[in-house]
Amino acid sequence: MKTTRNLITAMVLMLWMAPGMLNAQDLTGKEIMENVYYRDEGDDRKGKLTMTLVNSRGDKRVRNLQQFYKDFGNVEKKIMFFLSPADVRNTSFMNWSYDDESKDDDQWIYLPALQKVKRISSDSKDDYFMGSDFTYDDLGERHPNEDTHKLLRTETRNGEACYVVESTPKEDGYMYSKTVTWVIRNKWIGLKKEFYDEDGDFLKTLQVKDYNQVQSFWTILHSVMENDQKDHKTIMEYKDVEINTGIRDAYFTERMMTRGL
Amino acid sequence: MHVLKKITAIAILVMAVQAVYSQDPEIHGYVRNYTGALTDDPGNFSIIQNTLNLDIEKTGMDMGFKVNPNLYHYTNDEIDLGLREAYIDLYFKSMDIRLGKQQIIWGQADGVFITDVVSPKNLREFLLPNFEEIRVGITSLKADYYVGNHTFELVWVPEFVPTQYPDRESIWFPSMFPDDATIDQSQKEINPSIENSEVFFKYSLLSSQLDLELMAGYMWDDDPAMHMDRYNTNPQIPMPDSLVIHPQHHRITLAGGSFSTDIGGLVLRGEGAFYDDKYFSVATMSDEDGLVTKDYAHYLLGLDFVIGGVNFSTQFIQETILDYEDPIRQDEFENTMTFLAKDDLFRDKLTLEFFMYYGFKNQDALIRPTATYEVGSGLNLITGANLFTGTQGRFGQFNQNDMVYFKLRYDF
Repeated sequence: MKTTRNLITAMVLMLWMAPGMLNAQDLTGKEIMENVYYRDEGDDRKGKLTMTLVNSRGDKRVRNLQQFYKDFGNVEKKIMFFLSPADVRNTSFMNWSYDDESKDDDQWIYLPALQKVKRISSDSKDDYFMGSDFTYDDLGERHPNEDTHKLLRTETRNGEACYVVESTPKEDGYMYSKTVTWVIRNKWIGLKKEFYDEDGDFLKTLQVKDYNQVQSFWTILHSVMENDQKDHKTIMEYKDVEINTGIRDAYFTERMMTRGL
Repeated sequence: MHVLKKITAIAILVMAVQAVYSQDPEIHGYVRNYTGALTDDPGNFSIIQNTLNLDIEKTGMDMGFKVNPNLYHYTNDEIDLGLREAYIDLYFKSMDIRLGKQQIIWGQADGVFITDVVSPKNLREFLLPNFEEIRVGITSLKADYYVGNHTFELVWVPEFVPTQYPDRESIWFPSMFPDDATIDQSQKEINPSIENSEVFFKYSLLSSQLDLELMAGYMWDDDPAMHMDRYNTNPQIPMPDSLVIHPQHHRITLAGGSFSTDIGGLVLRGEGAFYDDKYFSVATMSDEDGLVTKDYAHYLLGLDFVIGGVNFSTQFIQETILDYEDPIRQDEFENTMTFLAKDDLFRDKLTLEFFMYYGFKNQDALIRPTATYEVGSGLNLITGANLFTGTQGRFGQFNQNDMVYFKLRYDF
């Protein structure tokens, strides 16, 4: 699947860069969001994720995880090991996400107290992950075909030329009525994203504070999700990132979920 | 004697910690206070228990180990020191071997033991402790061979360890026999030998469509058969008037399996086991030892789903005695259901849970509401209740044991 993505990305980029053929303003909202979705992130990657939950009084709660990801062609597999706090240590979570949009993700959780791998419902996409301001769906990659996209304007933000794209879900009852994303031209990173709740009211903002090239792949390293309605936020930091290290297929199995790190 | 026991316990704990500390392992665990009172007698505490649970472990590329000592302290200064697990792992390319005392947990059922028969249980406080505390570690050799997402597991248990039941003085002792019956435990022991060892096999698959487990076991039945001897101590009465019960474990063969699959956002689970020639008590006085053997099946269907961010889970469980005969004390069918609702609130600071077992025949239930509040990092305050309804049956027999409790637990 990654090869297909790369090809599509390359083709889109070639078309976009070809002088006289297509300039930035000619890209549609959908094409821009496809560029974000198909941005090459490597065939596999691993790193340490720190989530800091901050409430309205400024009190902090910290969650640490180790994350592994691999692209298997038509399925992307991700496994996360919870490192702290101590009461969730050794819990692991595995997600298989399919290219086939009609197929729901498969998810399992391993709870060390029960010593059992349990399949969990794929219907929990709008649940908040570990009490953070990120839902499970926010942490995944939403396929561009699931939304209708509209390019609102272009503007410069933090010194970067950005497209501003409004995305409206095609399905009824999705947790967000729309999102607005500021996408950095050429890098295809969502620099900022605003989320509106089911009633159309402004809900929360995701802002990327730091991104960089890790082994030539643009990678988001520090982001903040701020819930405007509830006045709390989550800081997400991605450290010790390594890409294309050749993570073995066997890493994304029940065996590793139970064995842990 | 108590002091000596305490010193010995602490010395063993310190030595164990020192022995493994030289290996630079990770040390985690928890400290917990558990205080509870029966609602019928709220002025007196039914339990005050302090617990230290240590997980000392190390996982390397080729091997690992875990030692899990635990210490329970009670109000009368009684100390109960245990070793829940102590094992060594050997990792190969496609195979893992675990040798030592370990908990082995199979199946997809929640709160019910169907194919989960390898590790014995500690039922001295009925089903109320955490399941990690109910399951007893067992000394065994476990080998797992992996082919993709397929796993083949073989377990050899050299020494049979039975499930632990409450003492006769305990409020959790089940009402099975007349109070004046004598219980003779002398035939209960199974001598450890190769001939008396247990063997289990499991195949499991984790795939996008289906998670599947198939298992078989040649084991000792955890539930002892209650062999009865009836005596006539009064020649004036033509019927026996004295009863001696000899609990005895018997060999049993079982096969079963479990599955779970996602159907449009719902997780459907199933689990079942078939027992060949299990012993059952009969009520007829004429029967020689008060027992018959019958084939027996135990199975469930369960559904997990999410509505409005609240996680729900329900299970229907049936036990069936095949080729049933009327004098058998246990019913031909025994139907039970479980229901769970769980919600995380205030960014997971507060977790509310409601769990219930319900027995259809006696309309009895065990209802367990709990609230867990995260006081700080790793520090949780848990309050809850164990409420029994009905007057007879698996849960109704304990209707005098309604209890409220709190636990303060710090994980490190």
